[in-house]
Amino acid sequence: MFARILRNDLRRGRLASLATLLFVAAAALLVSLAGTLGAELSRALTALLERATTPHLLQMHSGPIDLPRLQAFAAGRPEVEAFQVLEFLNVEGSAFEFGDRTLAGSVQDNGLSVQGRDFDFLLDLDGNVARPAEGEIFVPVFYFKDGAARPGDRVRILGREFRVAGFVRDSQMNSALSSSKRFLVSPADYAALRDRGSIESLIEFRLRDPDALGALEAAYVAAGLESNGPRVGFPLFRMMNALSDGLLIVVLLFVGLLVTLVALLCVRFALLAKIEEDYREIGAMKAIGLRVSDIRRAYLARYAVLAVPGALLGWALSFAFRGPLLANLRLFMGEGGAAGAPVLGLAGAVLVCLLVLAYVRGVLGRFRKLSAAEALRFGAPRETARRPGRLRLAGGLPLGANAALGVLDVLARKRLYGTMLAVLVASSFIAVVPRNLHTTVSAPGFSAHLGIGACDLRADVQAVGDIPGRAADIAAALAADTEVRKSVVLTARAFPVRGKDGSESSLKVELGDHSVFPVAYAEGRAPRSPDEIALSMLSAQDLGMRVGDRLPTAAGGGWRDLTVTGLYSDVTNGGKTAKAAFPGGESPVLWAVVQASLRDPSRSREKAEAYGSAFPYAKVSSLQEYVSQTFGPTIRAIGSASRISLAVALVLAALITLLFVRMLVARDRVSIAALRALGFRNSDLTRQYLARSALVAGAGVLAGSLLANTLGESLAGALISLFGAASFEFAADPLSAYLLIPLAVAISALAATAAGAAGAGRIDVAQTIRE
Amino acid sequence: MNTILSGERIVKSFGDGAERRNVLDGVSVEIRPGEFVSIMGPSGSGKTTLLYSLSGMDRVDGGRILFEGRDLSGMRDDDLADLRRRRMGFVFQQPTLLGNLDLLDNIILPAVRDDRRGTDRHVEKARDLMRRTGIAGLERRSVSQVSGGQLQRAGICRALLRDPAVLFGDEPTGALNSASAREILDILSEVNAAGTAVLLVTHDAAVAARAGRVLFLRDGRIDRELELGPPDGRGLEDRALRVSEAMRELGI
Ligand SMILES: Nc1ncnc2c1ncn2[C@@H]1O[C@H](COP(=O)(O)OP(=O)(O)OP(=O)(O)O)[C@@H](O)[C@H]1O
Ligand SMILES: [Mg+2]
Repeated sequence: MFARILRNDLRRGRLASLATLLFVAAAALLVSLAGTLGAELSRALTALLERATTPHLLQMHSGPIDLPRLQAFAAGRPEVEAFQVLEFLNVEGSAFEFGDRTLAGSVQDNGLSVQGRDFDFLLDLDGNVARPAEGEIFVPVFYFKDGAARPGDRVRILGREFRVAGFVRDSQMNSALSSSKRFLVSPADYAALRDRGSIESLIEFRLRDPDALGALEAAYVAAGLESNGPRVGFPLFRMMNALSDGLLIVVLLFVGLLVTLVALLCVRFALLAKIEEDYREIGAMKAIGLRVSDIRRAYLARYAVLAVPGALLGWALSFAFRGPLLANLRLFMGEGGAAGAPVLGLAGAVLVCLLVLAYVRGVLGRFRKLSAAEALRFGAPRETARRPGRLRLAGGLPLGANAALGVLDVLARKRLYGTMLAVLVASSFIAVVPRNLHTTVSAPGFSAHLGIGACDLRADVQAVGDIPGRAADIAAALAADTEVRKSVVLTARAFPVRGKDGSESSLKVELGDHSVFPVAYAEGRAPRSPDEIALSMLSAQDLGMRVGDRLPTAAGGGWRDLTVTGLYSDVTNGGKTAKAAFPGGESPVLWAVVQASLRDPSRSREKAEAYGSAFPYAKVSSLQEYVSQTFGPTIRAIGSASRISLAVALVLAALITLLFVRMLVARDRVSIAALRALGFRNSDLTRQYLARSALVAGAGVLAGSLLANTLGESLAGALISLFGAASFEFAADPLSAYLLIPLAVAISALAATAAGAAGAGRIDVAQTIRE
Repeated sequence: MNTILSGERIVKSFGDGAERRNVLDGVSVEIRPGEFVSIMGPSGSGKTTLLYSLSGMDRVDGGRILFEGRDLSGMRDDDLADLRRRRMGFVFQQPTLLGNLDLLDNIILPAVRDDRRGTDRHVEKARDLMRRTGIAGLERRSVSQVSGGQLQRAGICRALLRDPAVLFGDEPTGALNSASAREILDILSEVNAAGTAVLLVTHDAAVAARAGRVLFLRDGRIDRELELGPPDGRGLEDRALRVSEAMRELGI
């Protein structure tokens, strides 16, 4: 008999059943994918870092090095297992020729390197240590994705011809976020080209116990060894490699949870309607002595019939989607071949299924509270026995009869409409937040949050002789250029400073006028007077400084205290920098940056090329180009995510509203029949439902957009801080964030309402009144 | 002859295929303006069906229905709705008031639908009707706060608010005790005396006796018609006896 009841139920609530099944499947699919991906990522990443024997500590240094002194330091540290210095021959992008294409437009520091001696291996796509023969080259996998080269291609570098033997995964520099890319050549080829570029040394340590990293780093700094360049630890390598796929997993999980929530809502609507419909019957069953648990089991069975196949379907589908999603991961990190991945995926699907069933059980809990007598007497749950409120037609309510009926109904059944409200709040939220995030990160000024002042052009002068003089040449050219609006030169020098704990270290300080192209300060402001300084978040953390503290600095021939005026996030130069405005004196210049803005910013690309060829020793890039190459893939991903979320939100708002209105129509069919018998037209009923939805949608969309622009901002900020930006504010487009998108969500809900309310016109009045 | 509502050979069937059967099988009726007509018949004989057909709430399968000279079968749903709202009044066996509204709002609802500006006028008239039907003071009560008889009276007030040409009642006193029933019937008689035609479905001879004419429905046809004389409320017991007699003869 149960089987028959079940079949009838499923047939009658076809739309709700189908929606439940599909949402459970979609949720299971997403959560399974997240689980599978998570397992693969962790396996593949661990395998990559192990095979490549990634250094635990890397100090980059440009300039001469004292190898014996470094060797002595390493030998004297018991925690160091291995030590080596590798060279990175930094070659100008235009000297890389792939057919008719060069890397001149690349913002990466491209260079040549030989295979690591003892560790830090570059691996070919089979996971083996790549050994190029003479005349052969291995290209970073980054450019495989880029499509710049294929195996067997001819490549000319600094005029020397190489054959592409394959691609290498570089556990340090794989990611687009890492700014350098190593091309692997044979030692003989390297030696031939060694004096054709600027050499950067990679001073690398492997540790017996990775936990000793902090101690080694402190000792290295204390020993005052070579440190003209970023210093990076093992955790950061891990992070950089995991970031893009990690984000994907986070997004999958997030959307998966959201879809689960929607599945639960579908269940709730269908179940509440069903219970209401069966209320009297359930009461009667109880009255004649049937046990509540029997009744509950019948209902639970109905949802098990939907949830279990739904979850299995989702899991099965996840196999189809795994390939494309894992492609990036497999390319950059290799096959993880995690045996546990499908199992973890299945666990995700099972979790979704259990969640749905647990929820059904919870909703069914109200059966226990149902008294047989009450059910038989009232024929409807008491919580829906309505009372007229204070608003009355007779009191001159300034609404037409239909609008008034709609509004009164919402006010009388707040709990019921609360569910729909929640859905619309959620819909507007997921429509607006990714959209705002996208407008924010693609806004021209966003780089300021990453430690790069918002300008059009940027010339980096580094690792050449007479940096200040050369920077001044560029600045002079810019000053004479009528297309340039303004420009500024910042020179970086290292100064000894004393941290909170009294320890002395060397701090790289960019000197110059920081008010011209200001970065975004997470706290405080730019330094203005010569005794002020601003610190990057990481520097401040190292030194134990906060805004308002005084930092003892040895500059200009003696120690003096500088006041910390501000903190900013920086993703450049290893993240440990400072900004100040005092004159540099005699200390050597590490690098110089010339920044300029143009009268016509759209010309920045041409300008960058022109200045790049006029000053070949400088790396000139248009900031837009720089941002689009470094963060482009991420920004584009956020862009598609925002479009997908908008579509999801609109479909969600429409679908849930449709289900909801259909449930209401089924519930209210006696009142509807009565109204129609009294001579209300179908259009009157539609208007009543539209009034209800307009009220709920209005409130929901308003609350959703407000939440999106407050809570959503913090959420997005947390996401962005993964990229190193600490201060974050939405640079939302108010028209779309506050008007167009909320309007679209509301309209989609109203359209669904009109469609759902059409069902009220199909009710057989004579038949229903007769019941 | 002067009629306000007439049905000519109405056919209405239910069911499909072999189970299809004519519940109304060529029924003809004529109601004159201001007339009081009762419809009687065994359970399942199609009384309710006839009432719904005549009021345009249900579509018929054959025959013609004219209301104030207009053929209902040719009209669109919306026009039928307008007609019901403006020219007809309904009192159902189960009161069909809305739970969200208090009694007063329920009564004025259809009127406010057409004429919001006139709300004050409708309220005034509704209060007058409520006083006449004995439910003055219950304006702000909700549907669940009054008795069945009081609900039924509110239903009558709603039906009468716009001075309908015809008032339809489907056993409006079926669920009431005899004292309440009598009061309700007095109100209907009063309304009828003021010029509204009343068409009443009932099982009860005493109720039918209020009418000037009684139609007996059986096997989908009008089996018999009983003229009782002007419905002036006099000689009720005698009239009821005549109705009972007819019922007995017909085996109802
Ligand atoms: N939708 C329907 N489908 C099939 N048969 C129906 C339908 N509606 C009514 N009937 C049948 O039509 C017949 C007439 O029904 P109707 O309600 O008009 O009877 P009635 O005379 O009002 O009876 P009662 O005195 O019991 O109220 C009955 O036999 C009923 O079973
Ligand atoms: Mg009936």
